Amino acid sequence: METIPSSPALALTGVAKHFGDVRAVDGLSLTAAAGGAIALLGPNGAGKSTTVSLLLGLARPTAGTVRVLGGTPEQAVAQGRVGAMLQQGELMPELTIGELVGFVRGLYPRPLPLSEILDLADLGSLVKRRAKGLSGGQAQRVRFALAVAGAPDLLVLDEPTAAMDVESRRRFWDGMRAYAAGGRTVLFATHYLEEADQNADRVLVIARGRLAADGTPAEIKATAGGRLVTFRLGDQPAAGLDALPGVTSVEIRDGVARLRTDDAALTTAALYRGTTLEVHDLEVSGGHLEDAFLALTRES
Amino acid sequence: MLASYVRLEILRMIRNRRYVILGIGFPLVIYLLNANVFGKETTDGGVTLSAYVMVSMAAYGAISGTLVNTAGPWAQERASGWLPQLQVTPLPGWMIIVGKLVGALLLVLPSMLLVCLAGALTQGVSLSVGQWAALVGALWAGAVPFVALGLVIGSLLRPDAVQPVTMITMLGLVIVGGLWFPVTTMGETMRTIAEATPAYSYADMGWSVIAGHGVPLSDALTVAGWAAALGVLAVLAYRRATVRA
Repeated sequence: METIPSSPALALTGVAKHFGDVRAVDGLSLTAAAGGAIALLGPNGAGKSTTVSLLLGLARPTAGTVRVLGGTPEQAVAQGRVGAMLQQGELMPELTIGELVGFVRGLYPRPLPLSEILDLADLGSLVKRRAKGLSGGQAQRVRFALAVAGAPDLLVLDEPTAAMDVESRRRFWDGMRAYAAGGRTVLFATHYLEEADQNADRVLVIARGRLAADGTPAEIKATAGGRLVTFRLGDQPAAGLDALPGVTSVEIRDGVARLRTDDAALTTAALYRGTTLEVHDLEVSGGHLEDAFLALTRES
Repeated sequence: MLASYVRLEILRMIRNRRYVILGIGFPLVIYLLNANVFGKETTDGGVTLSAYVMVSMAAYGAISGTLVNTAGPWAQERASGWLPQLQVTPLPGWMIIVGKLVGALLLVLPSMLLVCLAGALTQGVSLSVGQWAALVGALWAGAVPFVALGLVIGSLLRPDAVQPVTMITMLGLVIVGGLWFPVTTMGETMRTIAEATPAYSYADMGWSVIAGHGVPLSDALTVAGWAAALGVLAVLAYRRATVRA
């Protein structure tokens, strides 16, 4: 690839965006070198979409500066160096997928070959279909195709898998990783920790419009306190639960025990074999983001 | 870029049944109905009604076509998220509004030409080549203010409000402007009001041409003035609609 990482893909300095009294983004600073996949992880209302809008020049910051690929967002967009998949974006219903992709492709100075776009977005069979009547997941794939069509140096995806089923998701992330592997930068917003974990080289966690954590997926998960084992304890004594292997904290509420653990398998095994408790309704949940947030934002 | 955007705008409209039926078919049908009933009569100026109504219906088709085809889709695109999707591509903002203007002008030609063709072929309207050219040229170029008006409505209103407002505006223009009922049938006051509308000056360019008087300068200036005023308004409204918060 001819992309030379001379300037950072993204550089935000003290960025704030207020809508009246609502501080959607509230003092966000971060830098990301070019290349690789970056997840913008946060719960609904954390400021992800606003951050995306600021990066794309669709919104202007109340304070601070946003630089994209060494220039303003507007410049980067005008030069065709940015592609984006927004959360809402209806397609023109009367046009075929091929026409839509061909049109957007033609707007960029150095687009990808049409066959490669259709491949990446898994759209081969839909080229002649009109946008009207596509399923939610199919429409998402078309919007992904529109986003990558211009071979942008920076690809921004806002909750890209929202309407997709499991199989579509898998293919979608394959496409995204193939795209990022070419030395380009991909930034995607998500509220699923698993998506960030499996598809990003770096995770930026934002909460309440601020950067709550920044690191590799492994680092973030460690900060978030691993996984959660819950079961119905009833009237049985809770003594000894905190001594089980892997457990880092214990919480009993309304007869339900919540064990935070570094190793769910070890903890669960020990719970059955190493105690005489009757374990009902056992559930192991994998590092829920809401939990991660409690852990990540508790200190700040 | 501009050409491919215009192509896209035209492609999506000609696949739209509503455009084809209402925009192209309706003026033609109304013309044929009127011409077959009143066509043999003549106006005070000695023009057959089949020719007079041909101009009225061509003008009506252009006004309704430009308003309806511009305002609705534009409001819809803003609301549905198609606009932000275009805004994150290298397509410059000015090309969107210019593209819509050019697209709307091209889309108005079929109905105009069909009505003229029907006049010539089925109603015996006979004009010189120069008159036909002047007629179509004046009605085509004169459609600009109505495209601008459509863009103003589409920029200021939400999709659900656009349709009634467009319809009322359109009907107001063509009825008050004397396109459905000639101004000669109106009272003194109504006639004064009619002659102040852009729709009247617009159609009057055509009525003058078929009466053998050419395009009156006063009408051309009035339409140009409306085009300038509504054009400025359209740009302002467009900026307001696409402002980056």
